Amino acid sequence: MDTLLPFLVSGLGVGAVYALSGVGLVVLFRSSGVLNFAFGAIGALGAHCAWSVMQAEGSQALAWAVAIGVAMAISLAYGRLLAPALAERDISIRSIGTLGLALMLMGFAEWYWGEGPRRLVLPTDADGIEFGDVRLVWTRVLGLLAAVAMMAGVGLLLARTRVGLRMRALADDRGLSALLGVRVLDVDSVAWALSGAFAGVCGMLLANIVRLQPTLLTFLVIPAFAAAIVGRLESLPVTVLAGVVIGVLEACAILLPGFAAFRTAVPFLVALLAILFFRNSTRKA
Amino acid sequence: MSRIAFLRPLGAALVLLAALAGQAHAQAAGKPSCGLNNGQKAGGEPIAIGAVVGKTGPDDFSASSTAAAAYFKCVNENGGINGRPVEYIVADDQWNPETATLVAGKLVRDRKVLAMVGNSSFVECGANARLYEQENVMVIAGVGVPRECFFARNYAPVNTGPRVSATLVAAHMAKTHKARKIVCIIPNIPSLGNWACEGAKGWGAANGVAVETITIDPGSADATSVMLQAAAGKPDVILLNVPKGIMVPMLAAAEQQGLNRKIRFASTTPAYNADVPKTIGKAWDKAFDLHLEFMPIESGGPDNANWKAVMAAYADKAAPRDSFAQSGYLAARIATEALLKLDAKTLDRAKVSTALRAVKGFKSDILCRPFYVGDGARHNANTSGPIAQVSGGGFKQLTQGCMTAEEPELADVRADEKRLGL
Repeated sequence: MDTLLPFLVSGLGVGAVYALSGVGLVVLFRSSGVLNFAFGAIGALGAHCAWSVMQAEGSQALAWAVAIGVAMAISLAYGRLLAPALAERDISIRSIGTLGLALMLMGFAEWYWGEGPRRLVLPTDADGIEFGDVRLVWTRVLGLLAAVAMMAGVGLLLARTRVGLRMRALADDRGLSALLGVRVLDVDSVAWALSGAFAGVCGMLLANIVRLQPTLLTFLVIPAFAAAIVGRLESLPVTVLAGVVIGVLEACAILLPGFAAFRTAVPFLVALLAILFFRNSTRKA
Repeated sequence: MSRIAFLRPLGAALVLLAALAGQAHAQAAGKPSCGLNNGQKAGGEPIAIGAVVGKTGPDDFSASSTAAAAYFKCVNENGGINGRPVEYIVADDQWNPETATLVAGKLVRDRKVLAMVGNSSFVECGANARLYEQENVMVIAGVGVPRECFFARNYAPVNTGPRVSATLVAAHMAKTHKARKIVCIIPNIPSLGNWACEGAKGWGAANGVAVETITIDPGSADATSVMLQAAAGKPDVILLNVPKGIMVPMLAAAEQQGLNRKIRFASTTPAYNADVPKTIGKAWDKAFDLHLEFMPIESGGPDNANWKAVMAAYADKAAPRDSFAQSGYLAARIATEALLKLDAKTLDRAKVSTALRAVKGFKSDILCRPFYVGDGARHNANTSGPIAQVSGGGFKQLTQGCMTAEEPELADVRADEKRLGL
């Protein structure tokens, strides 16, 4: 257990942000039926803008506001301008559309900021909770708390509010909801803006915990997808739990000789196992 | 006086000022010295020389060919190769082995280049080494990274490579910081992961220093676990043999875990980048040592000053002035000096390859020891270099002299040197 503890603690932080990203994906999917491949890229762009603010001696609060604001603006712009054109198409086409956005944003970030080494430092990095030889810095604790808080917040939004009801109605049947008087574009806007805000927060946390690099942050959407798939793109608590478990498993995989050098495969393996499990349980049903 | 008429002399004055400023800048950088250095523009049939570099992809390695191109431009303005200009053709392999083979094939078979100079690529050594040997084309490369770059008959990189670099910094840490247990971290990239830390291990086995290797997944999001795993064995030193993009988050994770206060950290050459000390911050001041493949870019030697003068006069202002550029400049200088010994009218590939193999005792203050090529089955002439330390937001050279690597795999290189009388 002593050997395992450092990696359990280390995996918690990354897992929390996977969980948070997973919630961001599920909230959009449950309202507009789009699996957002650009989630990581939107967050990456927000984090890079925040880094530029910090480089220009801007405050932490301003940097966070810029990260979340930029991410919300991009997400909202896509949701209002491009997504409606694909709204009547198949779910896979709606989702693949966001892949185009992801590649464009990633390309822009690489062109504008380049490949130089960068580091996004937060004041919460300086201290943390000690577990023997390991320290869980406050940024990671913040990630865990944010994941749980946002899960609860979004759960309440969807279950208890009028806009949440409209979001669920839209996801079930867009045409019928429109006929019943739901203002489709307005509800869509809320969902895309909310998803953008999640992307902004996740981008900042991942840029700090992982690294500030456009390509890597763009593709960190994969573990979040795995978490969302385990939650069947519906259950927020299962998504959060799956995100944390994926992070911890990925960290602990370092102890497996031979597999350690390939531990980025953990999210894929988890997603594959989940799909196999769901297939079997569907057959039984 | 109309407004436009008033602006005209003002514009002329500005142009004159700019010209004077440019001249002052060139004078400050010194007048470059290249090839025959006779100030006469070369004419006649160009001599085709090629290069394959990884420009677009995960990183931009083209600074070496940019510097080589600047040197060849300078050569062409100063008498060329005994009167003939160099036509330097650079191809981008896009970090793709198939593209590397395609572009090298075009250069070697279609453009009939006489040699390749200033190549810097992660993928082309493995992809093209056989082609170069079959077609008898010699490559004086700038920077070689994977094993294949140092194990080919026709490929001679000017740099030390990651394996020798790791051996040298490990030896330095053992000597200066009395390290007896070192963990070397390397990405699981083919021809790198299973090779680049093994030199330090071999050297350690012969010198009573235990060197353990940790192979990592460079795409992993979790640098903290790598640092915790490396620290678990209570080493004296953690040696990072990874690209700078992965190194910075690892150092950040180590700092968050307070490891920089318990363990010494060291790195191979990739840490030698002006952005690194600023990015990693004050926590690493005087706590991070690294090996340099060449003398520091700000060193005051005459050849280093000439490299800067060539860049000032013949390269774009935005072109990087880094160790890649030093390597490209050196490769172009080595090739030029070898070609100048030949009759320009009867140049062919066989003669050029023989002349390049005959390079011996090439001196530059950018290098620790004279460079040679030789007729050996493989080439790793640069096995030295100084040690620097992150200090005051920059780098401070720790050793005035140079260290030279000794490890079992260099036995054949040392045997070749003995045979060549070096």
